[in-house]
Amino acid sequence: MDGICLEFASKASAQPSPASEADELSLIRRAQEGDRAAFDALIRLYDQNVLRLAMQVVGSPEQARDLYQEAFLKVYRSIRHFRAEAKFSTWLYRVVMNVCLDHLRRQSTRKEVTMMPPEDGEPEFFQSVPDDRPALDPERAATSNEIGRRIQEALARLNPRERMVFELKHYQGLKLRAIGEICKTSEQTVKNSLFRATQKLRMELGDLA
Amino acid sequence: MECRELEERLTLLLYGELTSAEQTACEEHLAACAACRSAREKLERFHKVLARRPEAEVSPALLAEARMSLDEALDRQQHGWRALWNNGLPILRFQPASGFALGLTLVLFGFGVGWGLRPHINARTANLGVANTADVSNSDLQNMRISDISGVVPDPQTGGVKVTLDAERRVTLEGSLDDPKIQQVLLYAVKSYDNPGIRRDTLDALRSHADNPNIREALIYAMRHDPNAGVRLEALGAVCSLSPSADVHNALLEALQNDTNPGVRVAAVDALIASTEKEGCDEPTAQALAKLATTDTNPYVRYKCANAVMKFGK
Ligand SMILES: [Zn+2]
Repeated sequence: MDGICLEFASKASAQPSPASEADELSLIRRAQEGDRAAFDALIRLYDQNVLRLAMQVVGSPEQARDLYQEAFLKVYRSIRHFRAEAKFSTWLYRVVMNVCLDHLRRQSTRKEVTMMPPEDGEPEFFQSVPDDRPALDPERAATSNEIGRRIQEALARLNPRERMVFELKHYQGLKLRAIGEICKTSEQTVKNSLFRATQKLRMELGDLA
Repeated sequence: MECRELEERLTLLLYGELTSAEQTACEEHLAACAACRSAREKLERFHKVLARRPEAEVSPALLAEARMSLDEALDRQQHGWRALWNNGLPILRFQPASGFALGLTLVLFGFGVGWGLRPHINARTANLGVANTADVSNSDLQNMRISDISGVVPDPQTGGVKVTLDAERRVTLEGSLDDPKIQQVLLYAVKSYDNPGIRRDTLDALRSHADNPNIREALIYAMRHDPNAGVRLEALGAVCSLSPSADVHNALLEALQNDTNPGVRVAAVDALIASTEKEGCDEPTAQALAKLATTDTNPYVRYKCANAVMKFGK
């Protein structure tokens, strides 16, 4: 474990911080020529946020790690096609967005096929070790978990596109125009997805407000 | 401004997405209209509810783990399909003894990921977008860079399978699972491809030909070693349908004892109970069940094992 931390520290200090646009551009150029170290430094400017976004979208650390990996492998394979007239972050998030959308689509088709009711009245066997940390106010904690769970479920019922637009706008605070660029679509289309998502969520969660 | 207009703009107002002129117009209307003020309060309350979604926590350990596995995947990437092909597909014979060996071996063999087709294949298949594997020679495959398998779909009508590859242009390979090229591509995908969804779809396609020894071995391999618990669970389901043998039994026993996911362990104990009912309970299985009935971290696994011990005990 110490080894990992040390390696981290050294890698972190090697990265340009704070990265100016010029620094980023030079990292991109070197990464495009196949320089792995430059590629590593480049993606470390964004990878924490990407992992957080993936966690929000899929909920489990294991799946988030898979999405993170898939997204950055795609970035690695296609970085030579990146043209500097676009912002790198927009281009990167487009890749991430597509990976998330693919995941959500696969998940929704799978859900239809494989969702089964829990057997033997044992709904919780998928949860691993029970959490026996003392809660300050168990009842309140339970309600708050319950609300969190309902929000997640309502989000999961949005269609993939609405889900991602809502995530990026409401939770990540991106501008509609930026989301439009990421999705390669008009601001109006993004607005429509946002409105539909908001409407559906209000229908499902209205009783909580 | 009318109430109806304001209602439409309220969402954008709260997100700060209106122009300043639009914003002023909204504020003026709100100042004068109680109904719209109440609509705004309602929307604000709704946003407060949404804020109660738990923050996804990215622990330093998770970040470190994600970075390391990406690093390994990028290393694998630099080796390629060509190496895989020239080595006579070592994955078919490769059976690591432990997770540690697996990690090492994957890096050593370095299965590249990512399909890139040679230009002339592109040209030939671009019109149709579909290639029969007969059109793809060994040397074509040798020059592929496997980068993006984007779909594996069994075709129930022909009993064949359709593999979609993203190259510069999307290309689909179609053929029977008995076709060695299709088989090799799928065996590669199930063992080494980075996308767990694709690995799962590939398992689905493979299980119809589980009597083939290579495919059988790949299913057991996925059950033991896939990093994704959902894929391991699916593989376990496929392994249960294999004809009973010592390797299947041992793999199930290993899953019960060592899998980190309680859902997989539960499925493993169920499978073992089913096979034990037919074949009788051997000594190692009896011992493992007795031990896990008290030591497994998951109460449901302990309960299942205890039940099995009672059933097959003595
Ligand atoms: Zn009004």
